[in-house]
Amino acid sequence: MAPRLPARCCWRQLSLAGASTPRTALIFAPQIQKSSFSKTAISPVKYGWSTTLPKRGAKPYKYDQTTSGLPALTTGPAAALERRKNTTPVRAGVIAVKKGMTAFFGNRGARIPCTVLQLDQVQALANKTREKNGYFAVQVGFGDRKADNVGAPMLGWYEAKGIPPKEKVAEFKVRDESGLLPPGVQLQPDWFHVGQWVDVRADCKGKGFAGGMKRHGFAGQEASHGNSKNHRTIGSSGPSQGSGSRVLPGKKMPGRMGGQRVTVQNLPVLMVNNELGIVVVKGCVAGPKGAHVLIQDAVKKPPPPQEFIQKTRKLLDQRFPNAEEYLEAARKQHLVLKEARAQGRIDQMLKKGVTATDEIESLLQARITAPEVVA
Amino acid sequence: MNATPLVRRPLGCLKNSLRQARQLKESRLLVARGMATTTTETTGSEAPPPPRHHVFQIIDRKTKKTRTAFAIYKPAIKPSLPTLKELPPILSPPKLNKPPSNPLPALHAEQIKKMDPTGARTRLFAKTRGAARVGDILMVTHRRSGEPFSGVLIEIRRRGIDTAILLRNHLAKVGVEMWFKIYNKNVAGIEIVKRAKKRARRARLTYMRKAKHDRCDVSAAVFAWKKTRKVTTIKASAKKAAKGGKNAAGKKAK
Repeated sequence: MAPRLPARCCWRQLSLAGASTPRTALIFAPQIQKSSFSKTAISPVKYGWSTTLPKRGAKPYKYDQTTSGLPALTTGPAAALERRKNTTPVRAGVIAVKKGMTAFFGNRGARIPCTVLQLDQVQALANKTREKNGYFAVQVGFGDRKADNVGAPMLGWYEAKGIPPKEKVAEFKVRDESGLLPPGVQLQPDWFHVGQWVDVRADCKGKGFAGGMKRHGFAGQEASHGNSKNHRTIGSSGPSQGSGSRVLPGKKMPGRMGGQRVTVQNLPVLMVNNELGIVVVKGCVAGPKGAHVLIQDAVKKPPPPQEFIQKTRKLLDQRFPNAEEYLEAARKQHLVLKEARAQGRIDQMLKKGVTATDEIESLLQARITAPEVVA
Repeated sequence: MNATPLVRRPLGCLKNSLRQARQLKESRLLVARGMATTTTETTGSEAPPPPRHHVFQIIDRKTKKTRTAFAIYKPAIKPSLPTLKELPPILSPPKLNKPPSNPLPALHAEQIKKMDPTGARTRLFAKTRGAARVGDILMVTHRRSGEPFSGVLIEIRRRGIDTAILLRNHLAKVGVEMWFKIYNKNVAGIEIVKRAKKRARRARLTYMRKAKHDRCDVSAAVFAWKKTRKVTTIKASAKKAAKGGKNAAGKKAK
């Protein structure tokens, strides 16, 4: 995503132009137009030519369609969101790494097997909103990645957020805008409440190309009684002539086994520890040690208490109070650097030392007053 | 620890004693070194903190010139890389907590402290001289089952808080093996009934499952041990003797 001008600027412009202008029309606008917004949708294509109509199969960009007095539709994006409301968690989840299994012992001698999941520099990266994307979600990043291993487009994306490149990025859907997070905040294990339930998803271990016995639990064939070289093969793959002499679709056969996404639902959280960065959940989780794991509030259980959710949000604000200003500053800085890259001045800039404070203001001014020059 | 026990020990274990003394010396050195580093850290705090962002340059292979560059909001690995100066200090990127790469040892230590505050259970299966070893005959008193179970220790599975031992015995001429989690509260006491004559040269004595090597019923050894214990603790009250299992294990390990 190419970063826009600071979000605030856009909204200010919008309110000046007239409240009746639909918000959605602006979002795909390639550049800010000062005087007038066209009421027709602007094509999302930035370079080259295009017709005004969006591509067939492209994402619908009018999510809040009004029906003229007719009953609300039971299909479409709005109805789908409404339907999924109760099965969408209230809060974003986190990415963790599976560190291994161990056990907790109760005072009465009960042994509780548990899995240790570790959070490493987990940060909220971006939000997806109903107006822009059709649903609410938080993009979350995990760990640390060397800049050498990141492509230039993504480096620019991270630069605009003021966040270092991440090892793993995932998206967590949330119910409404109250679940969105300011980009840059770090999510620590105390994001979870001891005793709450979580859903944990990961890619399970791949088993390669497996036979019918291993993959589907077929019984195999006899060891003796005249069996020849067919001890582990599957038997018949269906009836013969009377039933059409064909193999029915969906017949269980040998093939690739494992390596798919597995969600384990309703695991209780036994322990959280910020110093060690760990969340300990009861039971087992798919995947080998070192696998990336997504943890989010359980869908089929009540979310953690409302007071706890508010407390965690407050903690986030305390730990990173100036998240919004920081994002804005990073964006401005990104615009300057982007401009310098486009003009091929970045080398000179580095030699001089990157001191671009004055440049930011002048550039912003130039963008607002004369957009065609910049384009 | 003082030097007097060194003198009292028989000459045969002099090598071991010397080794112990050497280890003690090393550990003392380590402590001293650790203190030294803390003091240097406090003096080092005067220096300005390294900038939390730098610029990553992509260099053209042919021309060797900077093709493009991006701001990276984390400390540079090499200090020579250019940095960004214009972000005011209040707007520096948030400092991220980086946890230890392996949290399990710390977690285990914490859990063991909780489940074994005296450290008796840990010491009984530590890798030290006094500790129980594979080949010893042990007796485990379990809270749930009535009779204590005794048998030859054929494996110690060391997994931190989840550490377990495997005992093998014969009951009614049938081989029986039992796993016990040593930190489980249900395991009320573990006692060493008889030491192995020689150190076993295997970590797991699974060969004992073969009839040729099986030590079969250990009840004779247990009976003999119980007899000697009765003589020594004849004055102790019956109540004390019943719950003495855990304490006895602790004393033995010391």
